[in-house]
Amino acid sequence: MRRREFGATLLAASGLASAAMAQSSGSVRDSALVGELEGPTLVSDPARRPQRFAEAPMLAEQVRAGRLPPVEQRLPQDLMVVQPLRSVGRYGGTWRRGFIGPGDSENGNRLMSADKPLFFDKTGTQIVPCLCKGYEVSADGKRTTVFLRKGMRWSDGTPHTADDWVFWFEDLYKNPDLVPAPAPEMSADGKPGRVEKVDETTVVFIFEAANYLFPYLLAGDTLVGGGQTRQQSDGRAYSVYAPMHYLKQFLPKYSSAEALNAQARAAGFTTWVQLFRNKSDWRLNRDLPTLAAWRMVQPITGQQWVLERNPYFYAVDTEGNQLPYIDRIQMTLAENPEVVNLRAIAGDYDYQERFIDLGKLPILLENRQRSRYRVHLDPGFNGGDTVLFPSLTYTEDKEIGALLADARFRRALSLGIDREQLNEVFWLGLGTPGSVIPDRIIPESPGEEWRTKWSTHEPAQANRLLDSVGLTRKDREGFRLRRDNGQRLRIEIAVAQTLSPTWPQQAEMIVQHWRQIGIAADVKVMERSLALTRALNDQHQIFMWTNNGTESLYLYPRYALPVDPTAGVMGNAHALWFASNGQRGTAPTEPEMKRAFDLMRAAAGQQEAERIKTAQEVWKIIVEQQWGIGIVGLSPAFMGVRVVSERLENVPARTGVSQHIRTPWGARPEQWYFKS
Amino acid sequence: MTAADPLASAGQDRWAEATQLRLTWWRFRRHRLAVISLVIIALFYLIAAFADFLSINDPHATDARRSFIPPQAIHFFDENGFNPHVYGLRGVRDRQTFQLVYTPDPNRKLPVQLFTRGYTYNLLGLIETDIHLIGVTGAQRGEGIFLLGTDQLGRDLFSRMIVATRVSLFIGLAGVTLSLVLGVLLGGISGLYGGWVDTVIQRVIEVLRSIPTIPLWMGLAAALPNSWSTLQVYFAITIIISLIGWTDLARVVRGRFLALREEDFVVAAELAGASQGRIIFRHMLPSFMSHVIAAVSLALPAMIVSETALSFLGLGLRPPAVSWGILLQDAQNIQVLSGAPWLLSAAVPVILVILAFNFLGDGLRDAADPYG
Repeated sequence: MRRREFGATLLAASGLASAAMAQSSGSVRDSALVGELEGPTLVSDPARRPQRFAEAPMLAEQVRAGRLPPVEQRLPQDLMVVQPLRSVGRYGGTWRRGFIGPGDSENGNRLMSADKPLFFDKTGTQIVPCLCKGYEVSADGKRTTVFLRKGMRWSDGTPHTADDWVFWFEDLYKNPDLVPAPAPEMSADGKPGRVEKVDETTVVFIFEAANYLFPYLLAGDTLVGGGQTRQQSDGRAYSVYAPMHYLKQFLPKYSSAEALNAQARAAGFTTWVQLFRNKSDWRLNRDLPTLAAWRMVQPITGQQWVLERNPYFYAVDTEGNQLPYIDRIQMTLAENPEVVNLRAIAGDYDYQERFIDLGKLPILLENRQRSRYRVHLDPGFNGGDTVLFPSLTYTEDKEIGALLADARFRRALSLGIDREQLNEVFWLGLGTPGSVIPDRIIPESPGEEWRTKWSTHEPAQANRLLDSVGLTRKDREGFRLRRDNGQRLRIEIAVAQTLSPTWPQQAEMIVQHWRQIGIAADVKVMERSLALTRALNDQHQIFMWTNNGTESLYLYPRYALPVDPTAGVMGNAHALWFASNGQRGTAPTEPEMKRAFDLMRAAAGQQEAERIKTAQEVWKIIVEQQWGIGIVGLSPAFMGVRVVSERLENVPARTGVSQHIRTPWGARPEQWYFKS
Repeated sequence: MTAADPLASAGQDRWAEATQLRLTWWRFRRHRLAVISLVIIALFYLIAAFADFLSINDPHATDARRSFIPPQAIHFFDENGFNPHVYGLRGVRDRQTFQLVYTPDPNRKLPVQLFTRGYTYNLLGLIETDIHLIGVTGAQRGEGIFLLGTDQLGRDLFSRMIVATRVSLFIGLAGVTLSLVLGVLLGGISGLYGGWVDTVIQRVIEVLRSIPTIPLWMGLAAALPNSWSTLQVYFAITIIISLIGWTDLARVVRGRFLALREEDFVVAAELAGASQGRIIFRHMLPSFMSHVIAAVSLALPAMIVSETALSFLGLGLRPPAVSWGILLQDAQNIQVLSGAPWLLSAAVPVILVILAFNFLGDGLRDAADPYG
């Protein structure tokens, strides 16, 4: 058994981060808008544990009125002690922010990240404590033990214990009505794992095969690592614990199916399952207890989505003040991302990174003084803000399907794109053109030579490749003809209207570049959910998306390899084959894909150093085969342009932009405060 | 009546001998605004017909090095006298504001000439050529004349506006033709036969007209299959727009039919044994031609605006088709308003054409009824 020392890993990680900062991704670094990657530290030394505690005035008032127990009784014995980034703060204030409607759950989910079992440091590579104060992995990798904080309470004052974890596993996760498909995260080597209680504050996850990766899954944005916000993932009960005392009443096991169905009908639902989903959804049900820093007081369905401080939150600063400093988060509905940008420019938000458009940087900068905000740029760690995913299992048109499944064709398409042009126009020159591999800061990155592999603008080489595929005949306008019927070959790029406002224009520009290599292409712009549904059914020929999240290959491989049949973008028939261990879907025709699958499968049973090597190997195959054609990445394009009120303190100069750092949670909002 | 009035100043003979067409033309000429409008519209259709010849740069060619170039002027004179030229531009990204700033390079003079070679196109769909009205010679890649500036992708707005004229004007024309056929046919049947036929057609019109147009367009446009090509979408949009447009016309035609079929001259024609076709086309139709013309000339701009509005909202045509609505779509966001306001100039031809059509319709309606 080895026990991880969190203090030590934190220090090591911050050294790594600043070293890498200075080198990666070129021109952005020249700008004063990119700061040093930083964040508050967690104090693990018991000698520095504060002895006296203080609380927010709004809570002190309730304590005086007798509606709340005093702060000492609300805090757990195993506190999280946060050393604020620059200074100990003062209480109060409302953090104003924008969201764009009931579909924008992630906006709030990310602010609830304090209830994740474990979390990552600012680089997104080292595990730090969160809800659990620590963890242990057995030498054979089959048992992962997590240690809960003693005396921890839900936001309604009820103790949070190991029973909540076992309850989730036995009564929710194993209930086929609630979880029709098991989470891949809960199995090792294809065999399901289980959850057991050791004592009140100790829980163990037991697998039949080595699973050294599991703690990372608990820290990442995975089906087991998302805390309670994952409860509503696809309307299914994924999480890893649940408030037993509250949710019991909505389960037939502890009540009766008839009574619950009657209750469901009275509430406007048809079955108890729907009622349960509603009651266990933190965005909709304000009575659902939480462990996060804030709790929801106005649901996502209205004009304002409001969160208010959780009086039982488990963290304090170094002087014993219970966190968070900020009383309230008020997210106001904006009709669309454009409105979010306008309001940010008008100074209506205190901290907004979501939906801020890199293209508007000049205007954002112009209005800094007038609207009293700062602008920070946080380059992302993922290789492609825009990636073209050729569907490897496209069947609607045999000829096009065969071409897309041919690595030479994909390489030619990649070599036919002038990435520098796209970077200049859409990233204001702030991105890094190249393949899909993550930033060199990420240990799993295979090395910078793989950033340019097959990913430069070489029309001559592209033309040779296309000729070698057999696309030699051209029509009068110079477009290549199909091999089967002699008609002009037309390829479609499907673009979803979401995430990046300039995706349709980017696709248009790529179409122009492809004219040079004799490829005719059309751009099909569609609404997000339609685009994703079609992607799931392999109905796109080429789908434009991002590989956001793949900076952690093992935690979020869906945009790197076809392994996730529930949310894939690139050949879901293969993904189904992979996830079902060859039972369903179609087997890959490319031997390289089989090899990549084998490597991914083997990784969970490998120790960290070996696992990183495996990931590098996988990335090399991905680039070599061009399963994703990376365009431009490592830029602040997604959530990396931050508009921060001048009044807000303790905000890092640069914060990690990554799925697993749950941007903006990696900037630790619980220790931000407003200057008076 | 003034002395300049041909009806008054011309002798009685001229007045009496003139054909209907000539009378109409005399009357029309008196409406100065309508005449000017006619010229403007004729010019626009000429532009549309010779769009590729008139455009300077390839309207689809993108180039990052010329993103958001402000409108550029042609200099006609230099130290050697008359020598039309533009300066080459150097774009540098400002490290403070992250905007591309273009400065003219005084050492790089690009002579502007007539009938230069540019991208290849089919003139009137017949002759393949690469001759364009104006252009620069000796330009390197990324250089050219950008009279109205460029958009984000570095495409020349002037050329795009010219090419957009084709789509926007012909969609109006095609839509109106369809509306006209539907409207006259259904309106005529409705007015001529009356009874249950009339009732059915009128109720259909009422139902169609009671639906708010924008949601109806949205629904129909959303129903267009995603797999359709730009051309198919183009035709579908035309049909969608004209499906609503015909109702106005049908109402007018029906009303006139109802009124006219009781008139003495119709009864006289009937008694004289004229066939129904002759009665309709020789006697009735000419007498309400003015109404039809008025309705058509008002429907045309409505069609053009509909296409522009639909495309602006992202429901109509889709890139790479170029129409005024699509050009305006690029001007929807705040960057453009503050950083590249020249993209809004795509609204100018829309306004111009709509006004011209309205004045023309006004003039035509007066003229079509020269005795009125």
